Amino acid sequence: MNVFINKLYIWSRSQKNRDLLIQFIFVIFVGLFFYYLASKARLLDMTLSHFSSRAGFGISHTFIIDYTSNDSRWVSYFTGVINTIRVCIVAILFASLLGTIMGVARLSKNILFSTISYLYVEILRNTPLLIQIIFWQIIFLKLPRISEALTFGNTVVISNRGILLPSVTGSNNGNIWIILIIISIILALIVSYIVNKREDVEGKNIKLFNLKINGNLIGILLFFTLTISTYFILQQPYNLDLPSIYQNNKGTFLQSGGFEFTPEFGGILFALVMYTGTFITEIVRGSIQSLSKGQTEAAQALGLSNYQTMTLIVLPQALRSIIPPLTNQYLNLTKNSSLSVVIAYPELFMVSRTIMNNAGHALPVFFLILITYLSLSLAISMFMNIINRRVTRIGT
Amino acid sequence: MTKLKLSLLFLSVMSLAIFIACSTETETITEVKEVIKEVQVDRVSTLKTIQDRGMLKCGVNDNLTGFGVLTSGGSFEGFDIDYCKAVAAAILGDASKVEYVPLTASARFEALGSGEIDMLVRNTTWTASRDRDLGNDFTATTFYDGQGMMVYADSGYKAIEDMDGATVCVLQGTTTELNLDDRFTSAGLDYTPLTFETNDPLQAAFEEKRCDGWTTDKSGLASKRAEFPASAGGPDSLVVLAETLSKEPLGPLTRDNDSEFYDVVQWVVFGLIQAEESGITSANVSSMASNPKDPGMARLLGVAFGDGTVADFNFGVDPTFIQNAISAVGNYGEIYERHLTPLGLTRSGSLNDLWTNGGLIYAPPFR
Repeated sequence: MNVFINKLYIWSRSQKNRDLLIQFIFVIFVGLFFYYLASKARLLDMTLSHFSSRAGFGISHTFIIDYTSNDSRWVSYFTGVINTIRVCIVAILFASLLGTIMGVARLSKNILFSTISYLYVEILRNTPLLIQIIFWQIIFLKLPRISEALTFGNTVVISNRGILLPSVTGSNNGNIWIILIIISIILALIVSYIVNKREDVEGKNIKLFNLKINGNLIGILLFFTLTISTYFILQQPYNLDLPSIYQNNKGTFLQSGGFEFTPEFGGILFALVMYTGTFITEIVRGSIQSLSKGQTEAAQALGLSNYQTMTLIVLPQALRSIIPPLTNQYLNLTKNSSLSVVIAYPELFMVSRTIMNNAGHALPVFFLILITYLSLSLAISMFMNIINRRVTRIGT
Repeated sequence: MTKLKLSLLFLSVMSLAIFIACSTETETITEVKEVIKEVQVDRVSTLKTIQDRGMLKCGVNDNLTGFGVLTSGGSFEGFDIDYCKAVAAAILGDASKVEYVPLTASARFEALGSGEIDMLVRNTTWTASRDRDLGNDFTATTFYDGQGMMVYADSGYKAIEDMDGATVCVLQGTTTELNLDDRFTSAGLDYTPLTFETNDPLQAAFEEKRCDGWTTDKSGLASKRAEFPASAGGPDSLVVLAETLSKEPLGPLTRDNDSEFYDVVQWVVFGLIQAEESGITSANVSSMASNPKDPGMARLLGVAFGDGTVADFNFGVDPTFIQNAISAVGNYGEIYERHLTPLGLTRSGSLNDLWTNGGLIYAPPFR
């Protein structure tokens, strides 16, 4: 034994060996820690079998899925997922638009535009998103109450229950018409491609009443003729749906028809657009400023207008450095949408919370939430990577 | 040297393997159970701990008017708070020896289980899972609550049946949304639920009439109604509908396997009910104690009847503990009158009336 201890002592005198020992002990502890976590998790029911049971609660905003409380918890969950996707897509579109406009305005020589953009960025970027969400909810709640709702000639109804806009409703033929539209788009594209090719390769022009017309025009004409004629052949499959409000016999105000823009959806949408817009503004500004000044000068020397310089020369080149940080902002926006739980917009996190409150099993549900957000984020990343590859292509 | 390194590595791997082999799943469970048992043995007598400490630690709500609220003067007040005072008076003879610990709904059971507080009186509903699964013991029901519906008085709604097509603001809870949906769908009524996570955005939406109704526990509704801002119409602009959508019995909780303290809390609750039944109030308790009307009253107040001896039930506290509690906070009716009647929670004819009046407030006999 003494010999062993002696040998160990000699062995441990080397710095390298001592380091090795410490690292080894550390690895063992990390391993034990994960083993402990795994052994605890094994005791829990990690399945989602309770998701097949009846949900039993209502959801205020349903879109695409016609959810009722008799559906399973899976259906309620996907109703929440769709609500998340819906608000994210609309918010991403508007935030990009707002950010681009504000980013260009920030660099404008016009003092008014650049000051507005400057104030917008500095105020909204530096206040918490949660506060902004509640702020927009309160703004929407300050709209007239439903008993005093504003109506504009049967087309728009405004109250704090929601802003109702005219929409269209489809009859049974509606879906057939949508399919016919898609077919006519494909047809129009094929025809215009063939005509253009003939013109390019063989130099043959089609003349109509002595007017030279090209493939694009033929395509557009074909598309409109097909869609309009099928619309009447199918006996007008879509009708204008005008909103209205009325009282039932108990005095409850009810809304009917139209497209409903609720205060909850509006609150989270405005907050996400305005907040994310500030970061996109800075990205756009930075990317434009990173371009060599020679580009603008050259464009102006060629006699391009300011608008042409921006849309034809500056923005297309700036796009290359805009896309990667923009992807981050889109991902942030998607993750931030879970904050809408405070203003009663039923997105996926809120619906999951209700399910967890009712049925427990928090851990597997949290895994499901994580996987869902991960999938959404990866889908956005993939889409943005495709766009990025296209804009960074050189020479085509 | 390399050989030695290798042998050391081998030794460590072997010990790790043995460790993993030993701690199988079932052993982990028994280990956990043993830890729980040890902790419980440690805590067996909360009663003794309170007596040694000279202070009762009571977990309460600090934001529910009528039940438990922190006043601007810095003191706690309410129906639940009075039960903390009653238990402190019963055990320590002094109602002021209470340390109030304000708790959120999600932190309350952990606070009790970890020993941060001795008892929990925070409008907590008695359910099977909370009683058994979460390691608590419900002592007795002090208030029979239930989910209700609050509407604007000028809406003309008299019952849930009138609310077809209504929008209802609902606070996310364990069963609140389910009770609401059950009631509306079983009656074939259409409704839109607006589910909020916290109270403040919900109240903002309700004040702007974003929703026609507000549903949560009736005690909560009464409390929110009482403090409804005058700018939005004040309390009189609201009515709580008579219908109750669910059973929510509220009462004080102690930890599992803590019988001595559990029994004291339970019998303080019963004692205050019995006091009301026998007509003993905080005003007349001292004269009743010096001259009890009958043997039953003498047993309740812990005094001798005539030339007899004092009946001691071995609660581990002074036999006059009920008497102390009554002189501190009064009987059940007095506590109710002081805190809940001002909220508009009418007692007569409700479940919270004495059993002699057709309610559910009932105490087992003191003998």
